[in-house]
Amino acid sequence: MIDHTVRAYDDELMEIGRKITEMGGIAETMLANAIQSLVKGDTELAQRVIATDPKLDVLEREIEEKAILTIARRQPMAIDLRALVSAIRIASDIERIGDLAKNVGKRVVAIDGQFAPQKIVGGVIHISDLALDRLHRVLDAYAHRDVEAAMSVWNQDEEIDQLYNSLFRELLTYMMEDPRNIGFCAHLLFSAKNIERIGDHATNIAETIKYLVTGETVVADRPRAADGYAPLQTP
Amino acid sequence: MLEKISVKNLKFFYGTNLALKGIDIPFYANKVTAFIGPSGCGKSTLLRVLNRMYDLYPGQHAEGEILFDGRNILNPGEDLNLLRARIGMVFQKPTPFPMTIYDNIAFGLKLYENLSKSELDGRVEDSLKRAALWSEVKDKLGANGLSLSGGQQQRLCIARTVAIKPEVILFDEPCSALDPISTAKIEELIDELKTEYTIAIVTHNMQQAARVSEYTAFMYLGDLVEFDETSKIFTTPTDPRTQDYITGRFG
Repeated sequence: MIDHTVRAYDDELMEIGRKITEMGGIAETMLANAIQSLVKGDTELAQRVIATDPKLDVLEREIEEKAILTIARRQPMAIDLRALVSAIRIASDIERIGDLAKNVGKRVVAIDGQFAPQKIVGGVIHISDLALDRLHRVLDAYAHRDVEAAMSVWNQDEEIDQLYNSLFRELLTYMMEDPRNIGFCAHLLFSAKNIERIGDHATNIAETIKYLVTGETVVADRPRAADGYAPLQTP
Repeated sequence: MLEKISVKNLKFFYGTNLALKGIDIPFYANKVTAFIGPSGCGKSTLLRVLNRMYDLYPGQHAEGEILFDGRNILNPGEDLNLLRARIGMVFQKPTPFPMTIYDNIAFGLKLYENLSKSELDGRVEDSLKRAALWSEVKDKLGANGLSLSGGQQQRLCIARTVAIKPEVILFDEPCSALDPISTAKIEELIDELKTEYTIAIVTHNMQQAARVSEYTAFMYLGDLVEFDETSKIFTTPTDPRTQDYITGRFG
């Protein structure tokens, strides 16, 4: 795209874009570290994840302030207006993703010392890998303004939902088998839920990318797995 | 939707210079249509053609059709006085007559209609009220129109236009010489006027076009590049030239 006649306008938009990229990078690292700390029971790493979160809050606020200032100053139209509205939305999604990764970190600190069979943790690792993959791809799609790549993330969220549902049932079974499992299983369940929510935020970002590039909002409902809240048969 | 005016393949010449290169555009009844585009794109020319203002200048002529309620107003036999009474125009610079506020409005009315003094008083008051000027001038109707502020003068011109009950009002950059408060008053007025009139407005202020109009036409070098609903033009224009212009990326 050709530049604005007023060069400072381009600089403002570019700076907001850079900050989004920075936020995305931080959120990805936070999620990866949170998962790592969960797998290894590494509370030190978990503490680092928790300590990183305020950075995202600051960046989100900066992006919002700059976007609002640019709207006030330039009265953006068309693609510029969509870019600014999208930046505010995506920054807020990434900030939430950071919160959720931080929550996983807090769970790891809370579980510390409790016995967690690798078999159960394995399910949580799987869902985390999927969420991390979606997050990485959707942030890439944003950087390249790639609607197709964004929509492929959007279409795949069902997989994470399904995995969460089966994990929910599995953990429930464990808890019913032995009450001593309830503590860590509950923490794992909340962690899995947090990670499932990260997948949802990735799809939000995908929708925003579509709006940013085409001006169209996604109207169709995302493919969704049936929820896992059906009553479970007692073994 | 009813097309009050339909412009069909309109070409306009300043001497041999082709200023409008075959334009097709509808003006929907009771809607505001805004024209945007860089200087010299032909938007003011188009407005001038709509009430045959160009007839005053030799060497200028139009080809094609402008159907006004289905009747081609480019026909040589068209009664121009009647046409201009039905299609009023407000210009960039306020142009009050050098006479009293009252006479500024009564002057046109007396030309077109035979009214008693009380009828005339009623029409003057009504017009000034429609132009949101009445409360400011009701105690000084005998004052010279030129003694008013710029924003008031422009509203006086609108009152003068409205007084003879036109069907269409053309605004050629009506706010470019006004302060923000007067501009807001004119915009509020346009919003009210569209319930009774069909309105076209040429403006260099993109935000104004976005605020006041339902339809927007982007013109460039004598061509109509894009015409669509205003909400579409300012959020997701189709033509890259429209996008470049409204986002301030123009060459």
